[in-house]
Amino acid sequence: MYAVAAALLLAVVFVPLPSLTLKSKGAVRGTIAGAERGTSGIWQWFTEAAAAVRGIGGAVERNRELSQELVRTQAELNKLSDVEADNVRLRRAFDFFHQKPFGMVPCDVVSRNISGWWSSVRIGKGRKHGIQENQAVISPDGLVGRTTEVTAFASEVLLVSDPACRVSAKLKRVDVFGLVRGAGTTLSGQPKARIEFINKDVEIRVNDEVVTSGLGAFPKGVHIGYINKVHRDASGLFQHAELIPRATVGLLDYVFVVSEAQKEPAR
Amino acid sequence: MRYRIVMLLTIVLGALLQQFLPTWPLFGGIKPPILAALTLYYALRRNAGEMWLAVFAAALLQDGLDLGSFGPALIAFPVIGLLANRIRNEVFADGIFTQLFFGAVIGLFTTLIALFVYAVTGQRPLFFGLAVLRLVSSVLLGMATLPVVSQIVNRLEVFIPERRGYGWQ
Repeated sequence: MYAVAAALLLAVVFVPLPSLTLKSKGAVRGTIAGAERGTSGIWQWFTEAAAAVRGIGGAVERNRELSQELVRTQAELNKLSDVEADNVRLRRAFDFFHQKPFGMVPCDVVSRNISGWWSSVRIGKGRKHGIQENQAVISPDGLVGRTTEVTAFASEVLLVSDPACRVSAKLKRVDVFGLVRGAGTTLSGQPKARIEFINKDVEIRVNDEVVTSGLGAFPKGVHIGYINKVHRDASGLFQHAELIPRATVGLLDYVFVVSEAQKEPAR
Repeated sequence: MRYRIVMLLTIVLGALLQQFLPTWPLFGGIKPPILAALTLYYALRRNAGEMWLAVFAAALLQDGLDLGSFGPALIAFPVIGLLANRIRNEVFADGIFTQLFFGAVIGLFTTLIALFVYAVTGQRPLFFGLAVLRLVSSVLLGMATLPVVSQIVNRLEVFIPERRGYGWQ
């Protein structure tokens, strides 16, 4: 009997049946979705309360810092108001002001990966909300990752820092294409990625901005991160560089899924 | 029936807690094996029927909530449950040294199985240094998790009347 059970188990594990696996996972995740949302809310409340308690001790110092920051910001604001006026005029001139290149579905992050083997988070919206697999997920800080394993009411988001996440990207300054691949996290907890397959004749500089190229499922021009280390191999055809994907640093509370279905034509 | 419901609720709560706990990069990103610890806890203290219920609930939750195919927990947890249930009359399950030892074993075993499954199916890239770090970390995390989980569930079960079904007592 044990032999039969073991054989069945090994078949489940090693015979790839993606649709059946996704259905089973959908059932498990659907069952636990309510509890997950509740726990997520409680966890967030605790996190905020802990942050508030930590803040009480340094309130005086913080107040002083904020006062200095306010003066500095006001000076900057005066300077920026002129720039903004120019900016608005130019935007109107080129009719880009109301341009929305893609629709977005706002989603709450309800949980993180259970085993720690994957760099992923789960969002509380799925197929019923118009989300499909391989859609780009962004936050105000830039590209977060892509959707994978989308079930009816939840979706997994594979973060840019995961080795299984690959994004067609380009170096904005020199307009050169490459492939961004996740590289896990450093021992200090900083997520990292690397941009590969860049022609070795191109000069890459530290702090060069890396954005999505627009090839594949990802929209064009979404910020991914800045180069922080360049690796040159004299014997190879290509060079690669390390970058820190800024949007995956720290805890994510909410993200936006870029929805092709809501795409609007540029005016 | 009441024990089974409490057991399943405890496993669900364990799964939620394991999900929400942050990962520590110094431990290779491995999470504390709460579900594996709960599986072992019930395997050492309950009969075979309840052990299998706990094993499959924990395994389905762990693999169902994780990315990738079903696998690491579905292989590791039944083995842990089966072996622990067989020796439950021969070990002092509440002893701290027993728990430290078993915690280390389940941590190491679940990580080894995960490494094996991911290596065979090619779902995760394997780097030697990271694999060693994760194996060592899983031993330490297992040793830290099992005694805590055992204490909490022991105290929780005190509140349930008509305590019964402990094989070693």
